[in-house]
Amino acid sequence: MPSTAEFWSRPWVRWAGIGLIVVLMIVGPLILPEFANQTIARIGVFAVAVLGLNVVMGYTGQVSLGQIFFVGVGAYATAYGVNAGWNIVLVFVLACVVPAVLGLLVALAAARLGGLAIAMVTIALPIVGVPLAKRLSDFTGGSQGTSARFSDAPEWTGLYDDQWQLYLVFLIGGITFLLTRNLVRGKYGRAFAIVKGNEAVAASMGVSPYRYKVLAFTIASLIGGVSGFLYMVVIQYTSPETLHFGHSIELLASMVIGGAGSIIGSLLGGAWYVLLPQITNLIDPNITAMLQGAILLVVLFILPGGLVSLPRLWRRRGRGSVAGPGGGPVGGAMQADAAASVPGSSTVGDALGAPQTQSPPPPPTTQS
Amino acid sequence: MGTFIQLVIDGLSTGSIYAALALAIVLVNQATGLINFAQGGMAVLSAYIAWALNGFGVPIVLAILGAIVVSFFLGALIERYLIRRFERGDPDTAVVVTIGLLTFITGLCAWIWTYNNRLFPSLFPLQTIQLGGAVISVRSLGTIVVIVVIMLLLQALFLGTKLGLALRAVAINPASAAFSGINVGRSLMVGWGLAAVLGAVAGVLVAPQLTLTPGMMDGALVYALAACILGGLSSPIGVVVAAWLIGVLENLAAVYIPFIGHDLKIAVPFILIFVVLIVRPQGLFGRKAVVRV
Repeated sequence: MPSTAEFWSRPWVRWAGIGLIVVLMIVGPLILPEFANQTIARIGVFAVAVLGLNVVMGYTGQVSLGQIFFVGVGAYATAYGVNAGWNIVLVFVLACVVPAVLGLLVALAAARLGGLAIAMVTIALPIVGVPLAKRLSDFTGGSQGTSARFSDAPEWTGLYDDQWQLYLVFLIGGITFLLTRNLVRGKYGRAFAIVKGNEAVAASMGVSPYRYKVLAFTIASLIGGVSGFLYMVVIQYTSPETLHFGHSIELLASMVIGGAGSIIGSLLGGAWYVLLPQITNLIDPNITAMLQGAILLVVLFILPGGLVSLPRLWRRRGRGSVAGPGGGPVGGAMQADAAASVPGSSTVGDALGAPQTQSPPPPPTTQS
Repeated sequence: MGTFIQLVIDGLSTGSIYAALALAIVLVNQATGLINFAQGGMAVLSAYIAWALNGFGVPIVLAILGAIVVSFFLGALIERYLIRRFERGDPDTAVVVTIGLLTFITGLCAWIWTYNNRLFPSLFPLQTIQLGGAVISVRSLGTIVVIVVIMLLLQALFLGTKLGLALRAVAINPASAAFSGINVGRSLMVGWGLAAVLGAVAGVLVAPQLTLTPGMMDGALVYALAACILGGLSSPIGVVVAAWLIGVLENLAAVYIPFIGHDLKIAVPFILIFVVLIVRPQGLFGRKAVVRV
């Protein structure tokens, strides 16, 4: 057993794993049925949206309920550009820049506020966005929505539309994931982490919480715009319904279910967002909503850290089965409880008004 | 002038509904430090329970009282067996748990009672009063009166009883409260139960107007959250004032500002929030949270 971790950390195994994934991504679309391709493409779209939410919420700790708004703006910008006949590269840049600028403007005001106030300002975006999208019918096509077909497979490829679309999602989504991974693992990621952990410590180390919150929010909006572009690639149609507040809540739930502050978790979150309604529909269409709520609660009950913490739980259970009573989810629940209650569990310290123990901040790094 | 008075009274009436829900949210937030997105869903469930009791032949007033009692225990049980597990963990996870609860309760209501609109009998007579050229419905006045009475009762509970003192102590510092012999767990259950009761009141007050559907309170929840932030989460009075302000202003804006109209009036509270929070980040009446480093 101890060799598993070592095995995975060997360079050649990592490269082989990456190579295998790339090969799968190239071969997969060619052999999978159309429905599977479309589902995977939609998972890709929403995984990117969840990834954006993760940047601002999972990594920087600012609750955002407005992510779907930026996805919608990206989708509308794409539709408008395509229908106006602009170059597709220009349209893509537009779909990234417009949400990013909007996000920057919102963040400049919202990041002044602490904690839940940011949630409330961002909740307004989808709620005001829906009637606004209906009102600005010159740009958005009103309640009817607007469609744009630009992602049909070109003749020379000989591919079907769904295959071509999936390749586009893999390419753009893959690059977005790689760039975001590098971002959150580098200097900026450490700055985000310390802003999330303790703003006072961040400020005292020369990391301006305000500036990094604005940065994280802007990047999240930009990634939301990318997701909106991909949305149009795959679904080719958008309406005010796309911006609905409920979707924003579902994105948030997907992020936490997948695993906050985790790249793999974003992928799992996207899969959750797309697959859960399909699965519950298969079980019984009459109780879809109830089942979704129940499954969400059960998953969080067993895995408060999200799906991404499943292997960790598995390993700990395997080790603790000798000592602990084990026995179904209860054993797991108890262990996860112990883990969850570590920060701030010292009751005496609380009583004396002592500072809560934060997770150790990353080592000070040079901030330019 | 008549229209103006009418708009203000109607605004106060809808504002009262938001106020009841917002008070419930504040109560939960003070006790457990989290925002309960399921508060609206729980309110709808309470309204359905009252409706079902009434359907069995129970008089409407008794049915509502029954629903209120059931709601209290339901709220307490939800705290004990669901929320408590997440209270010390990551707050984001706790928020998502309440979202899951909202989805579940809405789905449950839809499963039992379907998505069809149900007519809910009104507590108040459907008459109107002529007052200086304004036509004011008795229902609007009744709603306002009920909410004011509930506010006074809550104030009396929190300031005048031993239970209220215990609840406040737990909200301020659970650990110290536990040291002085207060049963923290039970206090939290009572807090959640009281919040569920407030939600139930909001539910039965709004149901005759909107007709009963599983998603009935979704809009009200958003307004209630807005009121919470505007008034400051630490101030119950501030939250009620903010809820009234929102109700009145959105009514006035919808009629008197042509660009806003009835579809964009939901933007009004958020523009208000935006402006207020830039000037006073802690809300209109809230206290600034001081963090010791």
